[in-house]
Amino acid sequence: MKRNHYIIIGIICFVMTVGICVQVKTVDSLNTNSGVQSMAENKLRDNVLKAKEKYEASYEKLEKSMNELESLRKTAAADNNEATSIEEKISEANKLLGLTEIKGKGVVIELDDSKLVKSNEDMNDFIVHDLDLLEVVNELFNAGAEAVSINGQRIISTTAINCSGNIVKVNDEKLGVPFEIKAIGYPDKLYGALTRPGGYLELMEDDGVSVSISKSDDISLPKYNGVYQNDYMQVAE
Amino acid sequence: MFIVTIILGCLLGVAVGMNLPTISYSYSGYLAIAIIAALDSVFGGINSILQKHFDIKIFVSGFFGNAILAMLLTYLGERLNVDIYLAAVIVFVGRMFVNLSMIRRYYIEKWNNKNKITK
Repeated sequence: MKRNHYIIIGIICFVMTVGICVQVKTVDSLNTNSGVQSMAENKLRDNVLKAKEKYEASYEKLEKSMNELESLRKTAAADNNEATSIEEKISEANKLLGLTEIKGKGVVIELDDSKLVKSNEDMNDFIVHDLDLLEVVNELFNAGAEAVSINGQRIISTTAINCSGNIVKVNDEKLGVPFEIKAIGYPDKLYGALTRPGGYLELMEDDGVSVSISKSDDISLPKYNGVYQNDYMQVAE
Repeated sequence: MFIVTIILGCLLGVAVGMNLPTISYSYSGYLAIAIIAALDSVFGGINSILQKHFDIKIFVSGFFGNAILAMLLTYLGERLNVDIYLAAVIVFVGRMFVNLSMIRRYYIEKWNNKNKITK
């Protein structure tokens, strides 16, 4: 046995343990809910994870292409008056559609399940439901909010908020408590409309849900990270 | 003597591996099979050191060759919808047990000889 043989064995062991550690970490991060699972269930979970990864990769690609398109549009429009005005129109339209990140004044509402659940009372009164979110969003738009997001999901014209067991789905993304609803609009008006006596937030607070609302001068909302569907609609002449 | 380098390598590996990011789920199956192949190579290497016919070329080429072949087989199995990686796991783990038993036998014989001499 020469000396460098020992070094090579050490290196090989090093490579192997690095691999083992990475694998263990990966498996740990994915199988959070352990327990008895059937083979079929595992396979399904496997497929879901793979499909999700594929979707994320494709979405990243799409986003990259969109950015490229935008920069191309900008350079193309740089020395053309007509094109510049069209470019401005496009970015204005994207802002209204929720396809760009925006910031501005507004209010931030935080909703969380109540910590003090008494066993002899109905659990349902103490947790935040999809309908609660719907009601709050509705109230915000009614008070003149220009843009609203829930936990990073932008509310757009085709957003659906619905119940999915112990979580809420917004834009088909699963969200859980605590909910942070951000709204851009005239802060005093939004704040006043939501905290008015007999308003929905007060009703929720009476029920035991923990509610907090605050005005803010600097709120930034994410963009809608989905795709607008337009397979069936056509412009009416 | 070689045990020291093995332990040192493993400790360094744990220290570095725990700080690396996780890999994507689709590749974790390949890494798993590569790890099994690598473990087999390491046990084989230890065994051949004890039997005194250790060759560094065989060891290194076996380490990488087996890992790569196992990953390729896993990929092929995924394409063909046959769990070929099971065959690789069975072969590698089986060999691991054989090597381990050889290592065990070597040390037990050594121990027995020592006892005989002292008696």
